[in-house]
Amino acid sequence: MLTRRILLLATTALPLAAPARAQGDAATALVQKLGQELVAVVNGPGGAADKQTALEKIIDRDVDVAGVARFCLGRFWRTATPDQQRDYLPLFRKVLIKNITSKVGEYKGVSMTVGRAQPKEDEVAVSSTVIRPNNAPNRVDWIVATAGGAPKVVDVVAEGTSLRLTQRSDYSAYLSQNNGSVQALIDAMRRQASQPG
Amino acid sequence: MRPSFRPLLLVLAFAGATVLSGCATPPTDPDALAEFKETNDPLEPMNRVFYNVNNALDVVILRPIALGYRAALPQPVQTGVHNVLTNLGTPVVFGNDVLQGKPQLAAETMARLLINSTLGVGGIFDVADRMGVPAHDSDFGMTLAVWGLPDGVFLFLPVLGPTNPRDTVGFGVDTVADPLGWLGQGDTVNALQWSRTGLGAVDARVRVLDDLDKIQAQALDPYATIRSLSRQHRRGQVDDRRNSPAFRPAPK
Repeated sequence: MLTRRILLLATTALPLAAPARAQGDAATALVQKLGQELVAVVNGPGGAADKQTALEKIIDRDVDVAGVARFCLGRFWRTATPDQQRDYLPLFRKVLIKNITSKVGEYKGVSMTVGRAQPKEDEVAVSSTVIRPNNAPNRVDWIVATAGGAPKVVDVVAEGTSLRLTQRSDYSAYLSQNNGSVQALIDAMRRQASQPG
Repeated sequence: MRPSFRPLLLVLAFAGATVLSGCATPPTDPDALAEFKETNDPLEPMNRVFYNVNNALDVVILRPIALGYRAALPQPVQTGVHNVLTNLGTPVVFGNDVLQGKPQLAAETMARLLINSTLGVGGIFDVADRMGVPAHDSDFGMTLAVWGLPDGVFLFLPVLGPTNPRDTVGFGVDTVADPLGWLGQGDTVNALQWSRTGLGAVDARVRVLDDLDKIQAQALDPYATIRSLSRQHRRGQVDDRRNSPAFRPAPK
């Protein structure tokens, strides 16, 4: 009697574990594919412009750019007007792609090995090791969220430092120094986006 | 009052005035206040002044030296210098490993010191790393953290850069406790110690050259970005050390 009850409990408990595992697997698969494609672009032939186009495609597909943008504006998203919100999102994307593309040179010859996935609140952290020639290996965690269907990267944590947290600190400090004016931030980002290289 | 005390009192008064005028006023808006508390940088005005001074000096002095050093010296020589400096720092690392209760790490540090000083020809070659015993950092600030002391407010200090009260005390203790600081006296010893300090500064500056340049170029508020990065990195380091087992190799 007791064993049957235990078996019943055990079998009903199993489906609860399965979705979490499936999420972890999906996240790991995403990071693996993303990593392979990024490494191929960085190490591959082609000029800066070609690499930027290739990276844009990968980022738009696999990174939740709008979500990260809203996160980085933090509490000021609510104080921004609809027009400012509409201006901010594509600007954020432009600056993000510019910053990523500027790193391509120093990552030439990079290799990446993907490790385990670990659930972190409602996101999944997939660990990886990034090795640049002449540098010590770096631990990079990719934070993947499954908001609305497909899994997407929402953060990159390099050696313990979260990119989205750091970017939010930067914007928040800039806004505090400018009386909370989202317009001032947008203007500064516009200047950044239009700078060469 | 004897004249010899007056300069000291003046310095103390100046320091006190700087700290008081360098305090930020907390915001009234509840969201802003929550963020202010989380950022934990009540001395921000003073910190920003030190940051700007540090930055100005860096642009004019240390960064050009670092750029020249990196351009002039071949990579193996730069690595050799870094290895020697790391080797010279192993007594302090060892002491802190022991104080943190990490016998495995302490044993690794001792092994590194012996292997690299002998087989590695005075520390120039990191033979131990190739044998599977990599380097790790250990300072008294980390020891205090492992013992349970939280980091405290953010500080940006001249020379030390981004830090906090706990790590500043740690730096002081490490500097005083370093056995190499007590070996002998005289002009040659002094010259060697200053060379070690100077080379250490240049070596450290070279290692962060590209990252710092990127921050200066891409951040809207480099001070806030450095504050966020350094604090996250330090907390990650401390968490890793706290969680590392005493008797198995810890991840770096």
